Amino acid sequence: MSITVETASQHYNDPAVLCCLRKKGTVISASDLEDPAIFPDLEESGLLTLSEDSLTIGQVLGSTLEQDADAMTPLTPELVSHYVEKKPEEKEKATTSEPAANPAGPKNSVIRFSINELKGQIEIPAGFDSAALPFTLPEAPKPEPEDRIIRTLTQREFNVQEVRVGAETSFQDKVLTIREGLCAESLMADPLVKDAQLDIIRPDERHVYSNTIMDVIPIATKVEGILGEGTTNVMHGVVVILTGVDEKGVQIHEFGSCEGYLDEKIRFGRPGSPDPDDIMIRINVTVQENTGMERRGPFAAHKACDYIIQEIREALKKAPAEACDKEDVYHDYKKTGKPRVVLVKEIMGQGAMHDNVLLPTEPAGVKGGQRNVDLGNVPVVLSPNEVRDGGIHALTCIGPATKEVTRHYFREPLVNLMAEDDEINLVGVVFIGSPQVNDEKAYVSARLGQLAEALDVEGAIVTTEGFGNNHIDFAENIEQIGRRGIKVVGASYCAYQGQLVVGNKYMDAMIELNKDKDGFENEILADSTLCPSDAKRALLMLKTKMAGVPIEPANRKWTQEVITANEQFIQ
Amino acid sequence: MPLTTVRGLKSEIYVPITPPPVWTELTKPLNQCTVAFCTAGGVHLKSQERFNLSGDYSFRKIPSDTPSSELMVSHGGFDNSDVNKDINSMFPIDRLHELVKEGFIGKVAPTLIGFMGGGGNVQKFKEETGPEIARILKEEGVDIAVFTGGCGTCHRSATIVERAVEAAGISTIIIAALPPIAKQQGAPRITAPHVPIGSNAGEPNNIEMQTAILKDTLNQVEEMTTFGQMKTLPYEYRHNV
Repeated sequence: MSITVETASQHYNDPAVLCCLRKKGTVISASDLEDPAIFPDLEESGLLTLSEDSLTIGQVLGSTLEQDADAMTPLTPELVSHYVEKKPEEKEKATTSEPAANPAGPKNSVIRFSINELKGQIEIPAGFDSAALPFTLPEAPKPEPEDRIIRTLTQREFNVQEVRVGAETSFQDKVLTIREGLCAESLMADPLVKDAQLDIIRPDERHVYSNTIMDVIPIATKVEGILGEGTTNVMHGVVVILTGVDEKGVQIHEFGSCEGYLDEKIRFGRPGSPDPDDIMIRINVTVQENTGMERRGPFAAHKACDYIIQEIREALKKAPAEACDKEDVYHDYKKTGKPRVVLVKEIMGQGAMHDNVLLPTEPAGVKGGQRNVDLGNVPVVLSPNEVRDGGIHALTCIGPATKEVTRHYFREPLVNLMAEDDEINLVGVVFIGSPQVNDEKAYVSARLGQLAEALDVEGAIVTTEGFGNNHIDFAENIEQIGRRGIKVVGASYCAYQGQLVVGNKYMDAMIELNKDKDGFENEILADSTLCPSDAKRALLMLKTKMAGVPIEPANRKWTQEVITANEQFIQ
Repeated sequence: MPLTTVRGLKSEIYVPITPPPVWTELTKPLNQCTVAFCTAGGVHLKSQERFNLSGDYSFRKIPSDTPSSELMVSHGGFDNSDVNKDINSMFPIDRLHELVKEGFIGKVAPTLIGFMGGGGNVQKFKEETGPEIARILKEEGVDIAVFTGGCGTCHRSATIVERAVEAAGISTIIIAALPPIAKQQGAPRITAPHVPIGSNAGEPNNIEMQTAILKDTLNQVEEMTTFGQMKTLPYEYRHNV
């Protein structure tokens, strides 16, 4: 039985497959056929093989089975008699039917009204083609698009050409000197830190073994104002990498490891990773044994690292403004007359070291911030400038290839792209945690939906790092936004290894972040994170969806060709 | 201002459409739990009415003290030879009693459930059969219900009933021979041994494998913490038809 007459009529052109064992002589009706909606799963499981000559449901209804046949048998001309032959001309009709949707007739004909006296008003239904009228309709006054600056952030970049260890921490003439005793002092940051070592890795000396990379941290400091406004000094050409082990030599803070040689384990040039010409300051922290996979151990390592960076920041604060090599000015805008959109970034919040520090005092710092796990993982809104000024310090322990490290947020391509885009009004960047407990996942997602509603946005892009259980939140976050009629695009690494486990009908416009040729989490730092080309596809897809232009449904399996084809549109 | 748009963009990630999560956390150790077994593989007492093989949303109550020799299968969606050799390959009733003796679980629920999920009517299973089975299990104080499917649509029917039971406040898990279907249909927990449909709970007469699959599955009810998790089990059996 399995399908009803109604279902059969919806799947008239889909293959006809027996749902159950049937005897010779059966006159085929809907109740003998399997639901085509589950064919892809059945094919995937090897339970069903459809062939070229399979007949359609429309063809077999009323035909007669000529031999006994098992469940899951596709009906073919050999198996049934009296089926309806496919008419070749039907196919042609289908391909040429499109122009018929726009008949020229009504446009050319004129409806004449004879009016002697007119009182009151004539109402013209929405959707009426006003171009066809013999007069022009008065245009509703539109608010003039206006971009009002509400916050300005100036980032002064200072090139660093050399990093040394010396007697005093200083920054002069593009040379950064780090005080020798600073590492030993950093142990005071947390009693769980047992040792801290620092070394300097120049771009041409990267074939160096390393413990797993916990974070990549830019060196930046406020010289005026608070995070997101005023002035920030940033070092260019140098970046801190934080690595760690516990006292027993066990790698800490990792889910999948990028332990190994730095030149092999980092995809240089990603938004989050060191650039090809960067000098790396490696800070390797040893924490108390058995605390490496608890929340406190890795956090202690980040605190010690931040202690070291803070002294460098103090030196950077003193750098004279006129000595800067580049100045970037970023604005937070209030844009009237443009569609309001929001960017939602899902971050890890499952406890342990799946956590982030929000809004530290110093850019990309630790002190002064609040951790999203402590905040209950509820959505927190940052302005684009707050994000670009180092508003997120990542503690995240997930797969190296998909994790968004601190530097990623500092240079987030979607934040920059959406904030600077002339056609939309980015109202904010929402950070929402992925909690450990299922009920909490639903709780925080529901708050996100309510927030999107209150922000009165027309569109949203939701991204997530990692894959697996956080995809439950990812799906739920998209649904909570989508069901409110807000157009939403999702971006995540999924590909082969990270295939979605759950989904809903609002996830119909998705951007794949995978960069591995086989679709795996390849344990190369930042390889499959969100890059500028992903950001461009995501924003184009959002605009397309918001404008009501259809997005084609995804293939059932990940292939790079689909992404490559979409990339053609942004070039 | 108009938005820049383009025709021909294609969504890049396949999304299985799953129903919303349903979840009941296990709050007791296994050795204090009452465990029920439900199968969509068409198992019933030899004395009970056979299932209508073209689709049937009724179910049979199987008293758990029934000797396995009194059970049979009526199902057209898979090769019946394995279940005919050993009903435990679909419905491991003997293994359950052994686990009680061993102290691995508390007890076996008084009533176990058999239905025939092949070609199952989704609406009937969702609105009638599922809630009714859930009610019976709940009344009998069941803590854990373990499911097996059978054929493709059996996995769908089994998962629909499993979700109804989970929603009633019982922790459930399905031993799936076709895990993609269980997953997509929204099974709260899934274990997946490498077995063909028809012997979803392990090779016939292979007590060791059946016990291991059942134990690993029950352990997963304790270990899994979020909806939709799946664990592949390291047991492989292929039958030669």
